[in-house]
Amino acid sequence: MDKKPLLKVQDLKTYFHTDDGLVKAVDGVSFEVYPGETLGIVGESGCGKSVTSLSVMRLLDEKGEIAGGSITFNGEDVLAIPEEKMMKIRGNDMAMIFQEPMTALNPVFTIGYQIIEAILLHQKVSSEEARAMAIDMLRKVGIPEPEKRVDEYPHELSGGMRQRAMIAMSLSCNPKILFADEPTTALDVTIQAQILELMLSLQKEYGMSIVMITHDLGVIAELAERVAVMYAGRIVEYADVVTLFKKPKHPYTWGLMNAIPKIDDEKEILYNIKGVVPDPLSFPEGCRFNTRCPLAKDKCFTDVPPLEEFEKDHFVACFRINELEEMIKSEREGELSAK
Amino acid sequence: MTAYIIRRLLLLPIIIIGVTLIIFSMVWSLGPDRLLASYIKSPEALKTPDAEERLIRKYGLDDPMPVQYFKWLGNVVKGDWGYSMVGKDGVLQSILQRFPYTLELAIYAFIPIIIVAIWLGVISAVKHNQFADQFIRVFALIGWSLPDFVFGLLLLWIFYSKLGWFPPGMVSTQFDLAMRESSWHTVTHMITFDALINGRLDIFVDALRHMALPILTLAYLWWAYLLRITRSSMLEVLRKDYIRTARAKGVPERIVIKKHAKKNAMIPVLTVAGASVIGLLGGTVFVETIFSRTGMGRFLADAASLLDYWSIIGGALFYSFILIIGNLIIDVSYALVDPRIRLN
Ligand SMILES: Nc1ncnc2c1ncn2[C@@H]1O[C@H](COP(=O)(O)OP(=O)(O)OP(=O)(O)O)[C@@H](O)[C@H]1O
Ligand SMILES: [Mg+2]
Repeated sequence: MDKKPLLKVQDLKTYFHTDDGLVKAVDGVSFEVYPGETLGIVGESGCGKSVTSLSVMRLLDEKGEIAGGSITFNGEDVLAIPEEKMMKIRGNDMAMIFQEPMTALNPVFTIGYQIIEAILLHQKVSSEEARAMAIDMLRKVGIPEPEKRVDEYPHELSGGMRQRAMIAMSLSCNPKILFADEPTTALDVTIQAQILELMLSLQKEYGMSIVMITHDLGVIAELAERVAVMYAGRIVEYADVVTLFKKPKHPYTWGLMNAIPKIDDEKEILYNIKGVVPDPLSFPEGCRFNTRCPLAKDKCFTDVPPLEEFEKDHFVACFRINELEEMIKSEREGELSAK
Repeated sequence: MTAYIIRRLLLLPIIIIGVTLIIFSMVWSLGPDRLLASYIKSPEALKTPDAEERLIRKYGLDDPMPVQYFKWLGNVVKGDWGYSMVGKDGVLQSILQRFPYTLELAIYAFIPIIIVAIWLGVISAVKHNQFADQFIRVFALIGWSLPDFVFGLLLLWIFYSKLGWFPPGMVSTQFDLAMRESSWHTVTHMITFDALINGRLDIFVDALRHMALPILTLAYLWWAYLLRITRSSMLEVLRKDYIRTARAKGVPERIVIKKHAKKNAMIPVLTVAGASVIGLLGGTVFVETIFSRTGMGRFLADAASLLDYWSIIGGALFYSFILIIGNLIIDVSYALVDPRIRLN
């Protein structure tokens, strides 16, 4: 890809000063998002996916601090933008939708009010025009009877409808980038599919970039063009979606892929990630995956593996790529001889 | 909403009957002899040997309780609430004379209470754990633990004895005389309002000056309660997802707090604010005693100490009205703030 990236995050470090100590929630994360594409960020709970997107939008709470790195959005250094100007970027150029549509909408204001507020903040229109735009937006996201729904409160809508309203609100100012933080996790499976489809069609229409944050590889497969796999505050593998699913090179990614049950799979999963995510207050030295990695050895416990280009546009942070290859091969052979 | 209010008001008589029945049966259980005492205005009446029995029969004090109750209730509806020994007048008349003073003080106290408490509570939450928050919390803690009569006496000592700025009582003597003149129109029985109606700004200011210390005494206690509730409610709301949503769409922080957070945070504050209104309308014995004000608190305390039954029953009746209406207003304002609450 030789276009200029819309968003470029380099070596981002976000730390939280908690009562229990320093939490290095994001520790040296780099990625790019190009105009109109969808980047998936995938990883287990607590690996720092949400904190990464909140850092880019500069929405961390008072305990959180961006301790290092740089964020460039649309050619501007995000970390140097004054707060007043940042407010104009939020909701206008960068938008965000969240996991829990029940709690993400303000219960004491109508959804119409909340959408109109966003429009009036960023566009020079009258409140009648803003209302018409809000109704239009609700229609676009597939809410039936938008003229009536616009005056309803969040609790009067179903979960799926609320998430549609949330999407309507975030897209009302035609953002350049949309951070979708697990937008379908709280919904029923059928509704999930509808919402993803809606996001895809709106992306086609508006041409915005999406950063799709999820721990669901199915969502990634459906939506993302490129994927960053995060583990304990770092990116461990970064590639286009086909490469990642076909030829995962990091033991963690490999484990994640194999944890998805395949329909034609009759035998049990070959390899499972054992153990639990390390405590963010005391991440291990060296590679943070070393407590659970079947291949971890020597250097893995002392040095941090850098994210290196293994093949063109396929980045992996692992010292033992070759060993993984061998392990996969021998397991395949074992599989064949068993047949 | 209107239907709900009407339905609640229709319930009013039933509740009143329940409340009065309980109070009346307690008074009735005292027995005819003791009840008779409140009918006797001078010892002369009991001179003849059979006078007591005769009078008991005359006033129907040995009738069965239901008969007595309905007779009393009938009188109440007609406006005859019995004779008040404390008020030296009819009970209803005595209450209607004193309640406006309490109401007036309550009105003037409530406004600064609610404004300052919410203001400080919000600052305290927004500046969580910073200096302003610590300072406000200490301020609240003192108000919380200092008894109101101690605080009241302290204020009186500083601002009256030492500085002479704010005197006790209701109004200065020369104005008290002016108010007794025939040219004076008594409309509301509340001095400040009547002063405005009569076009006497000097009396208005004077009455306010007399109210300053009682207002401050009452306000400090309620500030302590209300600002704590506001602070904790606000802290909770500020952690909610929808606050992050508001920030994410570019709402300026000032408006995030003033609109998105505050409206949600007000829901639990309403209950305490409602309690403060009812508490203020009840009148406080200490404040009225310390600052020489003739309001409901002192009236009821005097009635209790004199075993002035009819005043006590009348007071209970009067306050059951106030409580019912007060709670109705609280319920309605809940529904106004929180759309999730449906009144039915
Ligand atoms: N406000 C905060 N204060 C302190 N620590 C925080 C805060 N927010 C996040 N963290 C810590 O940062 C780490 C990463 O959290 P984050 O929310 O980014 O995880 P996530 O990948 O989004 O997980 P999930 O899938 O559960 O949403 C966690 O260990 C969490 O405890
Ligand atoms: Mg998250």
